[in-house]
Amino acid sequence: MDTPPTGTPSKTSGDEPIDFKNDLIPMFTKLGCNAGKCHGSAIGRGGFKLSLYGGTPEADYDEIVRKLGGRRVNLVDPASSLVFLKPAEIVEHGGGAVIVDDDLNAQTLTKWIAQGARYIENRQLIRVDVTPNRYIASGIADETPLKVIAHYDDGVSRDVTYLTKFVAEDPSAVQLGSNPITAQGMRAGRHIIIARYSTEVIPIELIVPHLKPVRQLVSEPRHNFIDEEVFASLSDLRLPVSPNIPDHDFMRRVALDLTGRMPAYQRVEDEPPMDREAVIDGLLASEEFIEFYTLKFAELLRVQSKGDKNTVTTTPQAARGFHNWLAEQLRNGVGYDQIAREIITATGDTTHYGPATFYTAVEDARLQTEFATEVFLGSRMKCANCHNHPLDHWTQDDFHGLTAIFAKLTRSKVIRLNPVGKNIHPATGKAALMKIPGGDFLPIETKDGRGALAEWLTDRKNPYFAKAIVNRLWKSLMGRGLVEPVDDFRATNPATHPALLDRLADDFVQHGYDMRHTLKVIAMSSSYGRSSLPVDGNESDNRFYSHMVQKPLSPEVLADAISDVLGVASRYGDEAFGTRAVSLRDGAIQSESLDVLGRCDRTKSCEGTPSPIGPLAQKLHLLNGNLLNARIGAPSGRLERLIQSKNPPLTIVRVFYEYALNRPPNENEVAALKRWIDPDKPADQQRDALEDFVWSIVTCNEFITNH
Amino acid sequence: MRCSKRCDGVPRRSFVRVGGLSALGLGLGDLFRLQRANSSSPLSNQGSAAKAKSCILIWLDGGASHLDTFDPKPQAPTEVRGPFGSVETSLPGVRISEHLPKTGQMMDNLALIRSVTSPFGVHNFAVQYLMTGYKPTPALEYPSIASVVAHLKTQGGILPSNIAIPHLTSRDVATIGNGFLPNDTKHFSLGSDPGKASYKVRDLDFYRGLDISRLDRRRQIVNAMNEYGKLKSQAGGVNDPDLERAYNLIASTEAKAAFDLGNESTEMRGQYGIDPRANLGDSNNIGQQCLLARRLVERGVPFVTVNNVGWDNHLDLQTYANRHPGDSRSAPHSLIPGLDKALSALISDLSTRGMLDETLVLVMTDFGRTPKINSTGGRDHWPNCFSVAMAGGGVQCGQVIGASDDLGEFVTDRPITPGDLSATIYTLLGIDPGHELKTPDGRPIQVAPPASKVIKELIA
Repeated sequence: MDTPPTGTPSKTSGDEPIDFKNDLIPMFTKLGCNAGKCHGSAIGRGGFKLSLYGGTPEADYDEIVRKLGGRRVNLVDPASSLVFLKPAEIVEHGGGAVIVDDDLNAQTLTKWIAQGARYIENRQLIRVDVTPNRYIASGIADETPLKVIAHYDDGVSRDVTYLTKFVAEDPSAVQLGSNPITAQGMRAGRHIIIARYSTEVIPIELIVPHLKPVRQLVSEPRHNFIDEEVFASLSDLRLPVSPNIPDHDFMRRVALDLTGRMPAYQRVEDEPPMDREAVIDGLLASEEFIEFYTLKFAELLRVQSKGDKNTVTTTPQAARGFHNWLAEQLRNGVGYDQIAREIITATGDTTHYGPATFYTAVEDARLQTEFATEVFLGSRMKCANCHNHPLDHWTQDDFHGLTAIFAKLTRSKVIRLNPVGKNIHPATGKAALMKIPGGDFLPIETKDGRGALAEWLTDRKNPYFAKAIVNRLWKSLMGRGLVEPVDDFRATNPATHPALLDRLADDFVQHGYDMRHTLKVIAMSSSYGRSSLPVDGNESDNRFYSHMVQKPLSPEVLADAISDVLGVASRYGDEAFGTRAVSLRDGAIQSESLDVLGRCDRTKSCEGTPSPIGPLAQKLHLLNGNLLNARIGAPSGRLERLIQSKNPPLTIVRVFYEYALNRPPNENEVAALKRWIDPDKPADQQRDALEDFVWSIVTCNEFITNH
Repeated sequence: MRCSKRCDGVPRRSFVRVGGLSALGLGLGDLFRLQRANSSSPLSNQGSAAKAKSCILIWLDGGASHLDTFDPKPQAPTEVRGPFGSVETSLPGVRISEHLPKTGQMMDNLALIRSVTSPFGVHNFAVQYLMTGYKPTPALEYPSIASVVAHLKTQGGILPSNIAIPHLTSRDVATIGNGFLPNDTKHFSLGSDPGKASYKVRDLDFYRGLDISRLDRRRQIVNAMNEYGKLKSQAGGVNDPDLERAYNLIASTEAKAAFDLGNESTEMRGQYGIDPRANLGDSNNIGQQCLLARRLVERGVPFVTVNNVGWDNHLDLQTYANRHPGDSRSAPHSLIPGLDKALSALISDLSTRGMLDETLVLVMTDFGRTPKINSTGGRDHWPNCFSVAMAGGGVQCGQVIGASDDLGEFVTDRPITPGDLSATIYTLLGIDPGHELKTPDGRPIQVAPPASKVIKELIA
């Protein structure tokens, strides 16, 4: 292989003619000609239309060579071709001068025309290697050359660095040099550069370590493969880790994460050393775990009733049926692959068959495609509705082929096949053929393509399915997805720990798509047991797990925790009094307090979307709303019962600390509280002060966070 | 017309939150909660020339059609021109939609920009770009212009510095907020619509049986618990600033009165739009929303956003001018006529009160709509070319900046990016577009993107 130096156009075998697909199109991409804002726009620009990022080279060739009566190319005098005069701005060009006189781009272009402006595709691209695709710099401003090698089906490999477009995700953190092509990180951290050549997009990781010398990580405990990977990236970045937490704190953390409930209080001195594995197994086997994780899936699957105002309705029975079905799958330990298969292929009356309700969550087949890919592939296919996805490999055929499968369904109370259902492909104006995303078209006589879809989805080799779910499970314990947002997997949004994601997914598949298994592996890691309080040098880290992410309690968990501490349930819609927020079986059940706390409204994806209620509005509600005020002093509540039983004021304080924070108050807290609560005065004579104390304990930072 | 070479700069719908927000307003971000940047003065050298003290942003949520509002194409073929005619305005040669006649008569008090261009045709990216001035990136969550203005121009009063009526935007773009700036710069959503008879700002009044001394004690106790407990308040050991703000607002009768439209005369309410007390059914609420915005800027609130929903209309264009579904009354108060009445009333009211010079009024939207009408008689998303209107606050009025082509497809003159708009808005408000804010990890970020240019001819 003869590789020319970086920064020069590549040649393969001497004077091989210019390759339209492999040379010219990437050059247009690099220059920005076929970007969405220029000629890559859906209707082109200035009468000249190219496919977005060269997605369809044949159409581009047609546009350049044949359209406009062939005036865009002049074979006799290449330099007077419109396709040259415009970008060189010899004639007026809206995009300005993008090539200069006789630069390499200009030479390639005129040479191609001189050679007859032919559609030549010398070879097919197989893959592209970028070196380095991960670079650990010695410090700030350490410069590394970038090199891109394309490999083709005829065995040829060549340097295409010069034809590759590089974009830094954060331009203020990375400086890109153009001649030769290099990258420099300008700040400590992990930075991403996206390299785009032809149809390939490759992320490059540029790691600039922190400068402070850190305590050795070698001696830190490693419990399983998770710790190996997490420590590998921490040591690359030279980030120190926070210490591990004691059993007592671990209990609160893991109970909240796996069951959405605080553990019962135990005096520290009463506790034997904890068998963490037994604790985790116990929690995973509990009914509370099923309840809590059913809620998570019900939110993801947008389970809620929708009335007549909607184009597609869901009855309360159908919503509850789907919720119950999900709980049943978790109860029976059904593999996630099996759950997905049943949902995807569901047919029947939504009133009686829960999973069919999956097909009434959205209004039409195209939205079903977006919804299904978000749930099962963790991917946003929306862009591919109108054109090939510019940041990912999804094509417009993928989008409309998948939509064609979903178009064969009626979307009503009973989900059944609709033989005449079709999806018009916007590019052709004809019914799109059913297609597996990134794969084959289905035979034209296929009646229901969902079986093939489910088979592809849950195939062990499917590169997205397992990763999408383990990433969500990871986030539910670790506070941040390895890919974030968790519904935005794509080539240009790499994981923070790619190898860890691979290993988690492999391990999940090998263990029968068992979600409890993966949750246990994560909970058993030493990385999960780290303190959430930063130490000197890791304060700014929010994605490498040098300290635990402080997770705010989710709205339902917080609402239940408040009810538990106050000793008074909250009423949700017409549900039986005492029903817990996490066990509500329909997202449409009314609750102002859950709305104020920011619950997912289940009409769109809630992943990565913060609560729409601002901090000021929330505090106003806590102060003046009925969430707390209606219950703190209720006759049946814990406070009133403690007062009635003639408990001294400080005993009442201690009881609330134990219920809410799983610990007794410390000396400083007792001393501070004595300012408002008189230990010598009977509790029933200072009800107001005690109420105000109870209000405070369920709004303090320690209570509302899993830390 | 130029299209930038960087037009394919990897946009992404991915937002790594630097400032987190939890169920109770406490999140990871609190670890890094910033104190107000107090480095160099934010005010530009020409600060004394800037007249605007406050800004009212009328946001046409969902993407208003430029062809059916401020940039009609009466000469274009029917499938582009659409169902509406156009009218003369007080500016010779300038025509706008026939459903904006009052605004047209005030065109000498407005400046139109008909050449705004953005690469983003999906709501979330588009709104982020327009509302922050920066192209969305996963690397950093930029604060909205409203939050930056609140941050730099706060009067330290009791009313929030950044208020959204009734919400900032539809839920789709809930990621727009204070970015890396402190929580007190985030918009306060009223959560209640002043255009409805039931309007009442949520949770401002005392819960029964409580009074200010009780709330005072609660805030003191919780602050003590945070101080001595396991998770200290991360704002440097001081009291929870969000709670303090809530408490101060509840404690001030005067501040609460700012939200009360009952103090406005029936006549005044009628001028802006349909008075909800007239019980005319579902109405377009933009009028009362604008009236409330005027009350708030009158009391020193630096930034108020009026979010007028319903513009994302892919179906029948006629509904832009028709009454709302289910409303059988005669008053025309749907989207375009409602905007006409509210905008013209707001400008003349501000003018009468002598506040127009110090109040910048903006009419902005996600993007324009496709020039060619679709098969259902509506228009789809079109970011390549659309219009923005400005008034008051030191704007050089009575002019049209930029132009679109004969079909309203592309900009033919003076392309303006959302970044340029942000730089101009900051300048009008006396903020140097190059003023640097600091992120929690110390990155300097200019309030407007470094490549943006102030639209000089807009500055009076």
